[in-house]
Amino acid sequence: MGITLKDIKAKYRELFVVEKSPEEKNKPFDPKKAAHDFWYGKEHEERRLGDLYVGNTGLYKHREWRGVKDTMYYFNMIWLYNYAHMVSDIMKYGDGPKAIVDFTKGTLRYRWMGQTYLTVMHWFDRGLEGTRGEAMKASAWHYRAMVSETIRQFMRMFEADKKIHGGEAPEKWNKTIAHNETLSGNIFYGWRDQLDDVALEMIPYFVSVHVNNHTVLNYIDAAQSIGLPSDPCPMCQAEYGLFVQDDYPDYSPVMLTSNEACDGSVATSVLQDWFLNRPLYAMPQPMRYDDPLVQEHCQKEIEGAWKFVEEQFGIKMDWDQYVKHAQSFNKLTEFEWEKWDVAANTPYYPINGVAQALYRIYYSQDGDRPIWHETDARVKAIMEKTVKNKIECFPKTRHRAIAWSCAPLYYSNWCTWAYNCWGINCVINMDSLMFDQYLRTDTYEHALEDLSWFNEKAPMRAMAVGGHEHILSLFDYMERFNCDMVIMYDQLQCKGMQGIHGVFEDEFRKRDIHAIWIPHALPDKRTVSRAEIRDIINDYMTTVMREEPLDPSLLDFDDAMSW
Amino acid sequence: MKAIGKFFFKLLKFAAIVYAILFAVFYWDLDGKFLYYIWEPLMIKRFDNMKRADNTMTPYSMKDPVE
Repeated sequence: MGITLKDIKAKYRELFVVEKSPEEKNKPFDPKKAAHDFWYGKEHEERRLGDLYVGNTGLYKHREWRGVKDTMYYFNMIWLYNYAHMVSDIMKYGDGPKAIVDFTKGTLRYRWMGQTYLTVMHWFDRGLEGTRGEAMKASAWHYRAMVSETIRQFMRMFEADKKIHGGEAPEKWNKTIAHNETLSGNIFYGWRDQLDDVALEMIPYFVSVHVNNHTVLNYIDAAQSIGLPSDPCPMCQAEYGLFVQDDYPDYSPVMLTSNEACDGSVATSVLQDWFLNRPLYAMPQPMRYDDPLVQEHCQKEIEGAWKFVEEQFGIKMDWDQYVKHAQSFNKLTEFEWEKWDVAANTPYYPINGVAQALYRIYYSQDGDRPIWHETDARVKAIMEKTVKNKIECFPKTRHRAIAWSCAPLYYSNWCTWAYNCWGINCVINMDSLMFDQYLRTDTYEHALEDLSWFNEKAPMRAMAVGGHEHILSLFDYMERFNCDMVIMYDQLQCKGMQGIHGVFEDEFRKRDIHAIWIPHALPDKRTVSRAEIRDIINDYMTTVMREEPLDPSLLDFDDAMSW
Repeated sequence: MKAIGKFFFKLLKFAAIVYAILFAVFYWDLDGKFLYYIWEPLMIKRFDNMKRADNTMTPYSMKDPVE
């Protein structure tokens, strides 16, 4: 059976042709309107973004036409710019021309690299769908920074990796500190001039799920395949699944782990101790972290980590380096506060929900790096323009939402969909509000005290499993950010959050708050699909809010196999 | 002078053609389609068939405490 012309035509239609609805087919052609739509882009209600998808793949028959100006910006300054800078970043962060060899070896050795990261421009597309003007630009710069920092980290891993260098330790193996992704990079500022610190699971697991959620399923299944239970947090399962599948780069002689966020992470530490079989320091953080009695203990744990690094690498911690990077990081914190102020009190905030959340959690976990400062300078210029000129970046906002608890990693861009479909503008989220700690550097004691607080305010610890009084701070933030709706993430395998579900239900009823519960299993899209998440929001918006969608084509579509 | 002008005109023409091709790749999501239908299946096949060390054979014993 050969391929017929009919088959080719059918495939062409499937991949490239946007089918018009019967109403549109019957409409007489209006050249004036067509010219207007070409030049300025269609009005929000006429876009029908859902018609652009190819089957259940999430691919586009064609990318969105946003009007001449915005389409050309997207093409030149987002698509082309990022593809070009990915190549230059590989060269910049790697070891000169050898970087291409290391990058190729890494791509062919690690599933999370070869299968995942090349699809990164679709991550931009999903997160920036429907955005226009300054919102598109500012949000895209956030994505650009995350891509650049991801490249820096995996290039450092590859350069120092024994596995892709025939089992021999490259020079940088002895100059790289590996640590758990929930252990903040700011612990290691004191060695930034001589060593580099790279979180072990951040790139192979956490960021990869956002970019392409297919890969992580292998690691979750691998963890369960050796008899480990399937009910702990799937984040922890994926983290140790990397080791079961032997898909972790071996780039450091040591490992520092953490119990953050829960006892699932304790298991990760234990399993990493087994699989890595090398000096390991576990730096625990207490669950009831703001108990005054535990502060001294937390500070001693940090000093213990410093002593461990000094002993293992034979390099003393440099206090001046710590001060330099802590002060530099404070500048990022100051700008974050400015952003919150604009987001809370004006409609001129130019960053969409997913860019805000991912950028904030990424840089505050990663610590001080030049790319965050470059990005903040660009975003500051855009934000000053939107505020000065009173540009409403999300003009179809019907509801200002706050998202609380931990987000589904495989659908962190749900808020882009929610705005396009329903006008739900996710102004702020819990992950953005963590790490809210200025780092004093005037004395050693103050520095240690603030660093300890910073790490105790880590993701999931500060407001999820850090005590019920913190998780209920949702209502204070809701007021502060002028929100009228809560999107409540319901991580089905988080025992801590499941335990407090009823308390929230009671509070929502008592306070008469519109809250939509979004069940999910963090990185695992098989438990609750993206379509199911959309259905829940659709049901709430039609039955409780009695509203009509802005873009009906986005109500029901299949993206089960999309990245 | 004429030759230089001709060269630059050719260069400009070449750049315009490359730019138009790149725009077509962008607009019709050809990069996404290539990665989805060709690259990713190849990579899955590669990684599924890759021989890997069995890390569960790593001995596990008590280690010296790190103080």
